[in-house]
Amino acid sequence: MPIELLIQALLNGFALALVYVLVALGLTLIFSILEIINFAHGEFYMLGGYATYFAFAVFGLPYVPTLGLAIVAVGLGGMVAERLIFRSLRGKALNAFIVSLGLLWVLQSAAQLSFGVLDKSVPRAFSGIIRAGGIIISVERFVVMLAAAGLIAVLYLFLQWSRVGRAMRAVAQDADGAALQGVNIEFISMLGFAIGCALAGAAGGLLAPVFAVSPAMGALPVVKAFIIIIVGGMGSLPGAVLGGLLLGTVEGIGALFFGSAAVNILGFLMVILVLLVRPRGLFGVA
Amino acid sequence: MSLDPGLRRALTGYGLLAAASLGLPLLTRDTYYIDVATTILMNLVLTMSLRLEVSTGQLNMAHISFVGIGAYASTLLVMRGGYSFWLTLPLAGLVAAAFALPIGSLALRVSGPYYFLITFAFSEVVRLVFNNFFVEWFGGPSGLVQIPKPDPLRLAGRELTFVGKVELYHLMCVILLLAAAVLVRLDYSRFGLLGNAIRQSDLLAETLGVWVFRYRLVAFVVGSFMAGLAGAFFAHSHQVLHASDVGLEPMVLLVVFTVIGGTGSVWGPVVGTVVLTIVSEFMREFHYYENLLYGLVLILMMLLFPEGLISLPGRLARFLRRGRPAESQAMGVGVAS
Repeated sequence: MPIELLIQALLNGFALALVYVLVALGLTLIFSILEIINFAHGEFYMLGGYATYFAFAVFGLPYVPTLGLAIVAVGLGGMVAERLIFRSLRGKALNAFIVSLGLLWVLQSAAQLSFGVLDKSVPRAFSGIIRAGGIIISVERFVVMLAAAGLIAVLYLFLQWSRVGRAMRAVAQDADGAALQGVNIEFISMLGFAIGCALAGAAGGLLAPVFAVSPAMGALPVVKAFIIIIVGGMGSLPGAVLGGLLLGTVEGIGALFFGSAAVNILGFLMVILVLLVRPRGLFGVA
Repeated sequence: MSLDPGLRRALTGYGLLAAASLGLPLLTRDTYYIDVATTILMNLVLTMSLRLEVSTGQLNMAHISFVGIGAYASTLLVMRGGYSFWLTLPLAGLVAAAFALPIGSLALRVSGPYYFLITFAFSEVVRLVFNNFFVEWFGGPSGLVQIPKPDPLRLAGRELTFVGKVELYHLMCVILLLAAAVLVRLDYSRFGLLGNAIRQSDLLAETLGVWVFRYRLVAFVVGSFMAGLAGAFFAHSHQVLHASDVGLEPMVLLVVFTVIGGTGSVWGPVVGTVVLTIVSEFMREFHYYENLLYGLVLILMMLLFPEGLISLPGRLARFLRRGRPAESQAMGVGVAS
């Protein structure tokens, strides 16, 4: 097999995988701060998609401010959700499961009722292709890949070096301990939830021109995000990136060899394998 | 003779369940009600057995897969092997349990959110296998159709048929009451007590000498056996079997029923299943708003009654006695523990 074909397959997988890493990072951030899994996370991705559709396709805003708008709007939405319902559920995983399912149904059917069930297509933000050797990638996918990588880098710097980001990590390690050191837990959970949702919104905004926008669009990226955080380890940022790249590799190469029907099962088999060999994920902490 | 209060509660609850389920066809023969009631009874087997597993502190998202394994096993044994439904019904449970033993042994090595996710991954693998692989056996995306109804049973010189809805309802009743007898008996036993201890703190239970893994595995296998029975009934009463019947959506409903009802008591899932099924039947009136309202109901119920609907009478009693609501003790079982 020519090496170009392999690189091409990997590159195709990576562009999407990096966006799914954004979704996964939001999930894992919320998980590490509130100790709950937010199943409505894909619906925040969906809201980001619709924000992009309205700002970019309907009102004709340029793409870059549109993306910023989607991020802020979905982040604010997440803030409201945390205030109203998730705050009281810290650590009650089973209850949070049901509540986030309820939220999933509410947001999805609200989107159906207000925007209709049909797909809405968003025009391309970038056109053209880049050629390098025998490898071809569309400018659109290349920009998506760069933007996702940039956002991941910003999140990393924020969590690593800013005062608030460090407080967030402290809460993730031990909420009581952080509170004793004067960290305002309520504020940190609200901010963490908002940032997590904003990341999903950004992912939705990035992929809106690539795929169409629809009320049920959040299901697929969330499943991918679950696979990514399991493989990478819950609560770990480098783990999520690595998990995403691994998933992209496995899916890209899997599609090449086994066809697309087998690709879905490969991701889940990878999850089972990782959990059995190294239950904490590749980068997870106990 | 005075009975132990726990035993009295168990017997009363079981009596009520038996009276309500057996009494329903005497009140109405309306096929719509019988249909809904049959679904409720089948879901009761599933939620009560799921609760047995949740009561050891872990949420098994692959419970529905064992319904599928039982359903496909029984269907294939009847349609390809020519066996009688009355043989394949228990076999369906045994096949599900046989799969559950190795799968549970592997999955239960992890806990909390990891267990939740590994069982979810497993259930997706099972669904995809039914949907995409071994198409000549499982029928692929179009599923299996024209599954025969249970064959007639000769009993004490009379021939019982299982064609009509009421007859199928009675069959489901018998399955439920047998399963519930086992589950209630287990709950009112050393096993139930240890399950509770494990749920409250698996570490502490382990230090006190409880073999936590074994209890969880037993719960997993017993729960899966019952799921397999329900699966066989499902296949032969619906006569159509499809991979989406064992997907995430029906599984999520089971969890919703169980948790909204309350996992702290063996009767929680019963309350949750009955109440929510009736609520969702009423919500059909609202057509487009059905899911929106259902979602809102879930959020409100969980925020207002975090221990489930089953905790309501107790809270009400405490409220009346003290004149103020008692501090609610969080009994939320940890997906993340």
